[in-house]
Amino acid sequence: MIKETFKSIVHFPAIILCTGLFSCAILAQHQLEQRDGGRAAKLEQLRLLPRGEVLKPALLGYHQLGADLLWLRMVQVLGDRVVRDQDYEWLYHALDVITTLDPQYLYAYDVGGTVLAELAARYDLSNQLLEKGVKSHPQSWRLPFLLGFNHFFHLGQPLESAEYMARAAKAPGWGHEGAPPSYVPRLAARLYAQGKNPDVAIEFLEAMLAQTTEPLIRERLQHRIRRVGLERDLQMIERAVQQYEEAMKRKPAALVDLVANGMLKSIPEEPYGGSYVFDPKTGEVSSSTHNERMRVYRASDSMVRKGDVE
Amino acid sequence: MRILSIALNTFRENLREKLLYNLLFFALLMIGSSILLSRITLGDYHRLILDLGLASINLFGVLIAIFVGIGLVSKEVDRKTIYTIVSKPIPRYEFLLGKYCGLVITLLANTVVMVAGLLIVLQVMDVPITSLVFKSLALILLELMVITAVAVLFSTFTSATLSAIFTLAVYVIGHLSGDLKEFARKLDDVSQMAVNAIYYTLPNLERFNLKGHVIHHLDFGMADMALTLAYGLTYAAFLLLLASVIFQRRDFQ
Repeated sequence: MIKETFKSIVHFPAIILCTGLFSCAILAQHQLEQRDGGRAAKLEQLRLLPRGEVLKPALLGYHQLGADLLWLRMVQVLGDRVVRDQDYEWLYHALDVITTLDPQYLYAYDVGGTVLAELAARYDLSNQLLEKGVKSHPQSWRLPFLLGFNHFFHLGQPLESAEYMARAAKAPGWGHEGAPPSYVPRLAARLYAQGKNPDVAIEFLEAMLAQTTEPLIRERLQHRIRRVGLERDLQMIERAVQQYEEAMKRKPAALVDLVANGMLKSIPEEPYGGSYVFDPKTGEVSSSTHNERMRVYRASDSMVRKGDVE
Repeated sequence: MRILSIALNTFRENLREKLLYNLLFFALLMIGSSILLSRITLGDYHRLILDLGLASINLFGVLIAIFVGIGLVSKEVDRKTIYTIVSKPIPRYEFLLGKYCGLVITLLANTVVMVAGLLIVLQVMDVPITSLVFKSLALILLELMVITAVAVLFSTFTSATLSAIFTLAVYVIGHLSGDLKEFARKLDDVSQMAVNAIYYTLPNLERFNLKGHVIHHLDFGMADMALTLAYGLTYAAFLLLLASVIFQRRDFQ
């Protein structure tokens, strides 16, 4: 009895001490986490990853799992808005390591290429990653499709884009991708013929939107569809003004004149909720919400500046 | 018959190893954790579940094969129980084969438990279970058989610690030996022959790695499967024969 009581007395401080030590350990760990910069530290780890060629043999046959875990880490870091403002070199490096560890990881090329172009605006790195993917997946149609998208919208090279699209149209498709949808060969043909037509651009964007599930990228695409839609409407109204001038030998007084004389079916709705403004003195048509025009879609304009297409 | 009774006895003995249950617990924990990880990834979560599940079965199987395998003979020597066995009219190779088969049965039982865990996870997460998964599992078991044979070979002439180090080294080399062949291509004829001889002597454990095929749905034909099975079984048999010869000549003092 005395022995048991003694034991319980000895145990009691031991339990208290144990709890105290455990709490201290948690506190210290918490403090350390505050100091290491959280996400920024994780980003730095991704930036300093050893090259895939070096990492692969060290993983002893578990390189696909290595690629999976790196992907998981990259996705977590990418989800943070603070990180999105960085230079994105780390993102390309992480994607390069992942696709070297598992060159068959089609999804990493696909999403990586899209994110690098759409969120990071690093078209050079996006194209580099996608070209690497095309080498290991010559049957895939998605990768040349994305390359075509980058060349068309970001680099302003409709002819190169048409060539990638033709390649996508001929590809049989890899794995779950299936065969290329019917709009791919149609787009290829239209890009060759009328690369600067905004209708082609809208068709291209809608095709891309149909394949994208990531909300942030979908939002950007929808924004771009609206922007190109605006340009298409402006060009359509300009053509109608020209027709009016040729027929009436004078400028219209307002846009409603174009509708009244059958040059336009109706005045299109401005995609941003504004309106189309016509200046009867100069004959220029503009939008109340956007002052700048998208030069890339003007057939007479051979100059293509980066940034014309947002 | 005698081999079988030694094997069953070894199996019963192994079941008393606490290490076995610890490793099994962690393997099942890792397989189960894929459910959690699949929720925070982007895109193809099937791939993550399959990959993590198969890698856990493989890794923990290898750990069990090495750390239980190295003790098979050396433990008998340390406990001096080897005297009672070698003094009986049982050929030493039968004892060794019995021990080996006992561990293979243990590994099989372990793998069955881990596979059951994986299949439950796959079923719950709605991941299609293809024949490739089972082909990959068969080859993982074959790799474990080769590793066990390596562990048994080393345990016939060195201590448990050294056997563990040697077997781990063979496991690492076995996954890198494919690079030796690439390396040989860049050498002159004589060096090339020497490096190639080393390449063919060492096990090429990458041959048993079908995890990439499973996650990318790449076909692995029956002819390839049969050849890989033949390679694994003959290599394990060769190691066991070598172990038997060494064990036969060993003098227990």
